[in-house]
This record gives sequence, structure tokens and C-alpha cells, in this order.
Amino acid sequence: MKKGSSDWVKIGMSTCGLGAGAQDVYDCITKEIKKRNLDVNVKKVGCLGMCSLEPLVEVNVSGAPRVIYGDVTDSIAKKIVHRHLRDKQLVQDHIIHFEEG
Amino acid sequence: MTFPTKTIVLIRNTSSDRIEDTNDFYQKFKDTLKQSNLKKEVELVRALDLGIYKKGNCVRILPENIVYQQITEEDIKRIITVTLKQGKVIKDLQFTAKAEQKRIVLRNCGRIDPENIDEYIERRGYDGLRNALKKSQQQVIDEIKESKLRGRGGGGFPTWMKWTFAKSQKTKQKFVICNADEGDPGAYMDRSLLEGDPHAVLEGIIIAGFAVGASQGYFYIRAEYPLAIARVNQSIKEAKKRGFLGENIMDSSFSFDVEVRLGAGAFVCGEETALIASLEGKRGTPRPRPPYPSVKGLWDKPTVINNVETLANIPFILSQGGKVYAQIGTEDSTGTKVFAVTGKVHHSGLVEVPMGTTLRQIVFDICGGLPNGRNIKAVQTGGPSGGVIPDEYLDTPVEYGTLQKLGSIMGSGGMIVIDDTDCVVDLAKFYLKFCVDESCGKCAPCRLGGYQMLRILEKITQGKSSMEDLEKLSSIAKAMSRASLCGLGQTAPNPVVSTMHYFLKEYHEHIQEHHCPAGVCKSLMIYEINQDMCRRCGVCQRVCPANAIRGDRENGYKIDIEKCTKCGSCYDACKFDAIRRD
Repeated sequence: MKKGSSDWVKIGMSTCGLGAGAQDVYDCITKEIKKRNLDVNVKKVGCLGMCSLEPLVEVNVSGAPRVIYGDVTDSIAKKIVHRHLRDKQLVQDHIIHFEEG
Repeated sequence: MTFPTKTIVLIRNTSSDRIEDTNDFYQKFKDTLKQSNLKKEVELVRALDLGIYKKGNCVRILPENIVYQQITEEDIKRIITVTLKQGKVIKDLQFTAKAEQKRIVLRNCGRIDPENIDEYIERRGYDGLRNALKKSQQQVIDEIKESKLRGRGGGGFPTWMKWTFAKSQKTKQKFVICNADEGDPGAYMDRSLLEGDPHAVLEGIIIAGFAVGASQGYFYIRAEYPLAIARVNQSIKEAKKRGFLGENIMDSSFSFDVEVRLGAGAFVCGEETALIASLEGKRGTPRPRPPYPSVKGLWDKPTVINNVETLANIPFILSQGGKVYAQIGTEDSTGTKVFAVTGKVHHSGLVEVPMGTTLRQIVFDICGGLPNGRNIKAVQTGGPSGGVIPDEYLDTPVEYGTLQKLGSIMGSGGMIVIDDTDCVVDLAKFYLKFCVDESCGKCAPCRLGGYQMLRILEKITQGKSSMEDLEKLSSIAKAMSRASLCGLGQTAPNPVVSTMHYFLKEYHEHIQEHHCPAGVCKSLMIYEINQDMCRRCGVCQRVCPANAIRGDRENGYKIDIEKCTKCGSCYDACKFDAIRRD
């Protein structure tokens, strides 16, 4: 884990997430972040509860609101890294609302 | 956190699953925005889900977090001028949630890295244990008593009473067990909790150990949960390193150790006396109670057995106080309950709500109702020991008492939504079959009664039964619930009894008219080829495994009812909907 950056990405990696393909998403996001040399922490977390929309990816980077993406595939994961992490713009059609906490 | 200077509008048509409908609304909003010259200041985003259902076009405006519902085309202009330009709220469009989740048990699930103890500590982890160690054992139990916490495994026995019984025993060696042998079909709250926040459960079991004066704790986890086992083991290792576990915990005189034991997948081992037998290395069969485990449990020593979810509540109660906890929920049932909502529901998943939330709120407001516009028939709660709650009782608040009155139970928290394409007789058969398979065979009422009931249900779904069979079902059910040794046998007839209570008409229809209204019971169906619609392609004849379809491409085809096994292959294969089943 890199220190110094408050930006993070959390990926739900319980059995429900892993079953929906969270491992691939995790691999994809870490690879893309490394390739683009971004200063973002990637964390494996448990289940958020919205199992029907797994894999879930929560993103918090300065310059954009904190959101959760649902139904994330490899291509969406790439988009999240490019658009959201790098360009600070939200990715269309995959945001789900979830209570803050 | 620095927020962007621009406003973000999340857009979604919440009444339709079609992406096109959201797109249309998005386009309209975008065009209107363009006319108002706000394109640079406002970012429009189509969302996948806003947590609102069946409320037409909706927007959520960030960072103010204003939500509007049922937006028409005229409203778009109003939203742009009033809210986006002047920063005022339009009251008549505002959406307020009727039911909201409240997360106590799942407070850290999906928020922290379960394998990193620092993240747990950062979110007030092990504060509860620190507070507990400053108190006396009795004070800890008093705190739990004030919270009115009841067992979340299904029975709803007050936790403080269990602990008091065990504490009052004058034995040197006592045990605490965490029951993580979750076996109800469709329920997976405990798995997610152990995988997402193992330290909360571990902290709970340490506090329980302190309160009753135990020196050893066990996690009894079913072997089918490898990830949960790995994460619990990891959390035990980390906690030992930090001095939350082991000798002289946090420099107090209290020492406690925890071990993980695996269950080999027997449903009956979720019953506490069978669980103890299994832990002792014996065959997992229950024994008569009393003596209760809190008096004479594991290796004949006083033992407290608590469910995963119960234990996960303990740290919250000790860090925030029992009074705070008791304010959540209702008078009789305090706190929250986690449900695993599955079945015919838009969003299946884990839901944690304060006690007293109604079933309708859970199914419709939180989980988004039923997909494909189907009608709800009932909600099944409590797994194989529970029952069904039909549509007209869905406004009942979820509490231990109210669900019991309706003939179901809270159970461990499985909730299966069924619609009009599900057959209740088939559902009852499924749950009974589960209990028959899982019966340990020690006592006769469960071993024989379950089997006989299952045979009668099979007869009903095959159209070979008579009305007398219903009386037989009732009398066997009564005998089983009175005479069985443990909870499994006592509650196994519940799904049958409750479906017979609420849906007796469907049972009658199966028996008297040989007809399954939901179209599920295959042997009750008759297949027929509609000659007007048949294009004589011959696909049905080719797929029929029983050679029951006669004819050729010139003269057309016919199903031989004598030979037909009612497998439905022809029905699925026909491209012209020419095969009718009834």
C-alpha cells in the first residue's frame, strides 16, 4: 500500500463479489493504475450488501465526488481508471447510490 | 475531501429497466441545460441505480444531495433555474425515503479491509473491549441487559440471560462458542459478516468470554466458507499480536484464547447441543435439554453459544452504551436485523434495517420490488424452520413476536420473495425435503414423520392424493412439532403448516382438480399441440426423449398422452408457441 495519498479505490471482494468476477476487476485496476503511474491506494474490502450489482467498486479521489460503481466489468474498470481516477470525470451508466457511512 | 466546483446531476428513470428510457430523459435534460448555458458548470451522469424505485424520472443533485422524483419535462426547466442557478430546493418534487437501512452489524462491511486490523481500530474497533475490561463482569452483563439484545440465530432468547446463567455457574473452566454454521437455504449474512468484518465478531466473543468468565472460545464455522475461515484465522493472529487476545488482554488480568473449528456441513449442527457434540469430536446429534449448554455444555462445562450476528452487536453496545442501542428498533425487539433478501426481487442482497420496519418496505422500498412487473405472492422467512407470509400481511413490522403470530419466525434472516409463478406446495416440498435430508435420524418423530410428510406432498404434486391426505399432513405435523428432540424436527413441518394455513385453496386445486395454478408441478400438466399454430417443422418430435410425439411433416404431429413424461422439452423447443400446457 502506498502512503501519502488520500485517494483510494475499494473493491468488494467477499464470496459474492469474487463469484461475480471481482478478482479480474482488481487485477485490471491495479494494472492500469501502475501503467498510468497514478497515486491511488487499492483496497480489498468485504461485501457492501448490494449483491445483485456485484462487482462493486467504490472510488474516492479528490476533485470528484465519492461514488460506488456497480456491475463493473474489465472494460468498465479501465474506464474508471482513465475517466474517473485520471480525468476526474464520472463514468456513465454504472453509478449506484449508497448511503454514506 | 475537496469537491469539484461544478454540480453533478445523477439521472435515472426509476420506473423502467430499459436503458433507452433513461437515455431519453438524459438527452432532454442535456438539451435544456445547453439552452441555459450551464453546460460547463454542471456534469450530467446517467446512474445505474439511485436507490429509488417506481418513482418515474429521478435526479440526485450533488454535492447538496437533493433528490427529486416524478420529474416531467416542464420540471426540468424549473430544476435548472431554481435549484441549479439559485440553489433553492423545490419542495413539491423532493423525495424522502420511506424506509432506510441502518448499519450497526454491517457498519464496517465493505468499508474496511478485513485483513487489516488497523482499519478496524481506526473505526472505533476494540473500544468496546477496552470499555468492558474497565467494568466488572456484572456491569458488562447489565449493559447488555439494558440494550435488550436478543439472539439473532432465530430463537430470540435474551442474550443477557444466557450469559447470566453461565456466569452464575461456579466452575473454573467455561467456554464461549460462536455459532457460524449457517445452513438455511438462501441465507448468507454470517458469511458476509465474517468475510467483511471478522474483528467485530472476534471482539464480541472476547467480551462474552470476559463477561461469563470463560478462558477459551471457539468459532464453529462450516467448511463450505473457506474465505470466511481464512479471514477469521488471520484476524485471530493479528489480534494476538496486538494483545487483544491471549494472556493478560490489554494489560488486565483477563486471559482468553480463541480457536477455529470446522463444521462438516451438517445442518443439524447449527442446533446448539448437536454443535457441542460435533465440537467434542462425536457424531453431530442433539441431546435432550435441560440441562442447557449454559449449565452443562462443552465437555460438561458451562458454555455460551451465540450467533455471529449477535456477537457482532456486542462491541457496538459496549462502546456506545446499551441505552443508545435500545433506542433503535421497537420496545420488544431492539436494534437492527440483517436480512438476506433473495428470490423474485429486483435487487437481492443483504439489508440491515431497524426492527419494526415492515416487510413491504424491505421488499419494495429497499430492494426495488419484483422484476418483470410480476405480483408478489408471499415472503418466506426463517428458512426451513419458518413459514410464508402472504401479501396481505406484508405491512407487519418485523419483530420476533409479530412474525411468530403469523406462523413464521424471524429465523437467522433468510428472506425469499415468491411471486405468482411459484407454487407453494412445491415450496413446502422443497423445504421439507431439505429437512428430511438433514435429519440426523436420532429421534423417530423427525426421522419417520418428515419422510411420511414428504411422500404425501409428492403425491399431491403428482395428482395422486385425496383430501384425507391433508388431515394426515396436519396430524403428523402436530406430532413432529411436539415430540421431536430438537429444533430441526420441531420446526420442520412449519413450511407445510403455514402454506396450508394461507394457501389451502392451492392444495385443494392440486388434489381435486389436478391442476397447479402456478404451472410449476410438472406431472400435473397436460401438453397439447395447437394444430392451427403448428408449422409442422418436426422439432418437437426430435427433442422428445420419450418418443411420445407421433406424425410426420405432411400430416402434422400429435402428443401421445400415455407415453408423455411431461418433461416440457417440446414446450421449450417449439419456436411458434404451438404447444399448449395446462
